[in-house]
Amino acid sequence: MIGDLLLRTLRAPNRLVPLASLGGDNAAGSRMPEITCAAMTPDIAGRLAASCPTAAMRSGEEAAGAFFELDYAHCIGCGRCAAAVPEAVGPARSLPVCGVQRARLTRRWNLATGAEVARPPLSGAALPLVGLWPCFDPRQRTPAGAQGVPQLPRCAPTAVPELPRLDRWLGRAVNIRQLDAGSCNGCEAEISALNNPYYDLERLGAHFVASPKHADLLLVTGPVTRNMEEAVRQTYEAVPAPKLVVAVGACGCSGGVFASSPAVAGPVDRIIPVDAYIPGCPPTPAMLATGLAAVLRRR
Amino acid sequence: MTPREEKLARLAPALRQAWVREPEPPRLVSIFGDTGERGPSVHYLLDRGQADYEEIEVEAATELGSLTPLAPAAAWHEREVHDRFGTVFAGHPDPRPLLGHAHDALAAAAAADRPEFTPVAGEGITEVAVGPVHAGIIEPGHFRFSTMGDRVIFLELRHFYTHKGTEDLLAGLEAAAATPLVESVSGDNCLAHAVAYCEAVEQIAGLEPPPRAQALRLVGLELERLLAHVGDFGALCGDVGFAPMPALASRLKEDLLRASARCCGTRTWRGVAIPGGVTVDPPAALRQELAHAVEAAEREFATLAGLALRTPSVEMRFEGAGVLTAGAARDWAAVGPVARASGASLDLRRARPRGAYRRQAFTPPILAAGDVMARARIRVLEASLSAQLILETLADWPAGAVRHPVPAGLDGGGLAAVESPRGELLYWLRLRGGRILRCAIRSPSFQNWPALPSAVIGGIIADFPMINKSFNLSYSGCDR
Ligand code: SF4
Repeated sequence: MIGDLLLRTLRAPNRLVPLASLGGDNAAGSRMPEITCAAMTPDIAGRLAASCPTAAMRSGEEAAGAFFELDYAHCIGCGRCAAAVPEAVGPARSLPVCGVQRARLTRRWNLATGAEVARPPLSGAALPLVGLWPCFDPRQRTPAGAQGVPQLPRCAPTAVPELPRLDRWLGRAVNIRQLDAGSCNGCEAEISALNNPYYDLERLGAHFVASPKHADLLLVTGPVTRNMEEAVRQTYEAVPAPKLVVAVGACGCSGGVFASSPAVAGPVDRIIPVDAYIPGCPPTPAMLATGLAAVLRRR
Repeated sequence: MTPREEKLARLAPALRQAWVREPEPPRLVSIFGDTGERGPSVHYLLDRGQADYEEIEVEAATELGSLTPLAPAAAWHEREVHDRFGTVFAGHPDPRPLLGHAHDALAAAAAADRPEFTPVAGEGITEVAVGPVHAGIIEPGHFRFSTMGDRVIFLELRHFYTHKGTEDLLAGLEAAAATPLVESVSGDNCLAHAVAYCEAVEQIAGLEPPPRAQALRLVGLELERLLAHVGDFGALCGDVGFAPMPALASRLKEDLLRASARCCGTRTWRGVAIPGGVTVDPPAALRQELAHAVEAAEREFATLAGLALRTPSVEMRFEGAGVLTAGAARDWAAVGPVARASGASLDLRRARPRGAYRRQAFTPPILAAGDVMARARIRVLEASLSAQLILETLADWPAGAVRHPVPAGLDGGGLAAVESPRGELLYWLRLRGGRILRCAIRSPSFQNWPALPSAVIGGIIADFPMINKSFNLSYSGCDR
C-alpha cells in the first residue's frame, strides 16, 4: 500500500513554484490592497479612510500638510476599500513589503500634490483613528478597559537599526520555531502550507524545529494575549543568540482586529524585539516565503 | 430526597422544569451570560430535537444552582459565566477560573484557596506537563497528564491561552462592520463563523439572502469542510509515521486553495459573507474551474485514503485507540464529526437545514465505534459528501443578485447555528439601533475539548498526539 502511494507521488507532476517567480504574484488570493489611482485626492482619501474597519487607511495632518496613509501592518485584506472606491484601489498581485522593518509597512501620500511620499516618517500615538469600529477609536473607549485593565497605547515599533547579518553565521541552513502567541490559527494554516510541494521551504535551507532551543528564527503569529505574554518572553529567552524574530500577520504586526482588547497585551514588538514583519490576514504562503527569503537575504 | 432530586432542587425553577421534562434530559447546547437591558441574566440553550432550540433565561442572581452535577457538559460554560459576569454556581464541582490565569486579579483571588491543577498522587504516578507552547506549528494550550508507566490515568486541560476577549470587542460594533472580527475567531473555519453571524443578523432583519448567495455560501462551507477533512486525515496519518499521506494531502489542499483564490479572489474565503448575502459573484468559467478542482481532489483523496486505511501499520494504530463511548459523547454533549463517530446523529445540515441546504437530499454518515479509526473514516466519508454537495450546487447555479440590502438601525435578537467542519457552531446575537449589544459565540471546540480526556484516559501517552489530532479542535475557537 505504501508502495502504491509512493509510486503515485513520484508520478505526480511537479508543482514546485520557482523561487524567482514567487514574488511576482505573492499577494494573489490575499486581498491586500494596491492603490491604483494616479493621484490621491482628499476626496478619495476620505472615502477610503471611512471604508476601512481597522484604520489601516487613514488621513492625518502634519507640518507639510494633509496626508493619507496606508499601513499594511493594520490591513486585514477585507476588501472593503476596493469595494467602496474601486477606481482607486484593487487587489495587489505582489506585495514587496514582506520581511521588512516596521516603518516600511507604512505608505504615505501628500494630499496637496496627490503623490506618494518616498520615505514616510513613523507615525505613533498622535494619529487620529477614524475606523468604522469604535474599538479602534480611543475616544469611544473608557481609559480603563472593560475589565479594569489599563488601555495600552498604540504599538510603538521597537527600533532595530539593521537586520543582523545572520546569514554569515547561518550559512545555508536556518531553523525556524513557529510560536503562536494567540492567533486565530489562520496564519498557522498558511505557515503549514510552506511545507507543501508547491512552496517547499526547505529549498531556502529553512526547517521548522520543535524546540526554541534549536531555533535561529522565531516566527511569531497572533496578537500576544495576556495569557501568553509570559510564555512568549520565555520562549524568546530560550532561543540561543544570535536570533531573529519575525512577526507574522496583521495581529502579529499591529494587534490586527484585536489591537484594543483588554485581554490582549499587544503586537509582538511590545513584548519582544522584532526584526522583520510579514503583514496579511493571513499572509499567503508566497508572502511568507518571500518574506523569509528577504530576512535571510536569499533571492 | 435522592441525590438527583437534591441536585435538581438547586436549579433555578425555569431550568429545573425544562430539565425534568420527559422523556429524557435535553442536550445542553450552551450557557452564557448577558448584562442585558432588563438586568443581568444567564441564558440556557437546550436541544430537544425539535425545529428550534429551547432558550431559558434566568435572572442572574449573585448565586445560581450549578447544572454541572447533572450535566458535565455545563462545567466550562458555568466557569466562563462566573469569570465574565461574577455569577457563582453553587454546587459546581470545579469552580476554578477558566479564562484568565496569570494576570487576572479575579483569577488569582479565586485560585488562592485551591490547587492550580487537580492533585493526582500515589506510588508510581508521574505527572507530565505539556504546553502551552507545543512542538510544532500548532496553537497554544496546556495538557497535564498523570501517568502510571505508559498509561494515562488522568488528564487535565488548561486552555484559554489564546483568549482575546472577542465577544467584548464585538459589543458596540455596527452589525455590518463586525464580520472581520468573527472571521478571526477560528481562522480555519472563518466562513462558517461569518455565515453563522450573518444568518443571525438576517434573522433579525427578517430577510433571506438571494438564492445565488446561499449557493455560494454552501460551496464555501463545504469547501472549508473538505479542506479540513483532507488536512486532518493527512496529519493523522503523519502522526502514526505514514509519511506520504500528509505530503499528498497538503498538495490536494493547496490545489483547492488556489482554485478558491482564482474563483473568489481569496484563499480563505474571508470577506466573502456579509449580512444580506456575499461580496463576490464568480462567473461561470471560474465556477467550472472550481468544480474541476474539487472533483479531481476528491477522486484522488478517496483513492489515497482508501490505500492508507488498508495499510496494516495505520490500521493497527487507529483501531481501538482513543475510544469516546456513546455515553461519554452524550454526557459531554459532543458535536460534529467527533459525535458522529460515536454514534450520535447530530448534523445541522440535516437537522435544521438552512439556506441552500434545504434543496439538498443526503444522509450524513454515522459510525458507532468511537475510536480514532471511526473519526478518520468519518472524515473520509464526509469529504466525499462535501465534494458531492459542491458539485451539485455548482451544476445548478441560481440566477440573480448576490446581496440584499440590510436595513440600518436593526433591533432584536437572533440565533443561528451552522454545521462547521468541527460541528455545531452557534451565534446568539442581540442588536440595538444597528449595533451589537451582545454576541455570544458557542464554538464546537468549546463543546468538544472537555470530552477529549475521556478518550485519552486509559490509553498510552504515546497515543495522545494521534487521539488529539483525531478530534482536531480549535484552540482559538474555544478560547475566543
Ligand atoms: S483592512 Fe480592509 S479596508 Fe482597510 S486597507 Fe485593508 S483591505 Fe482595505
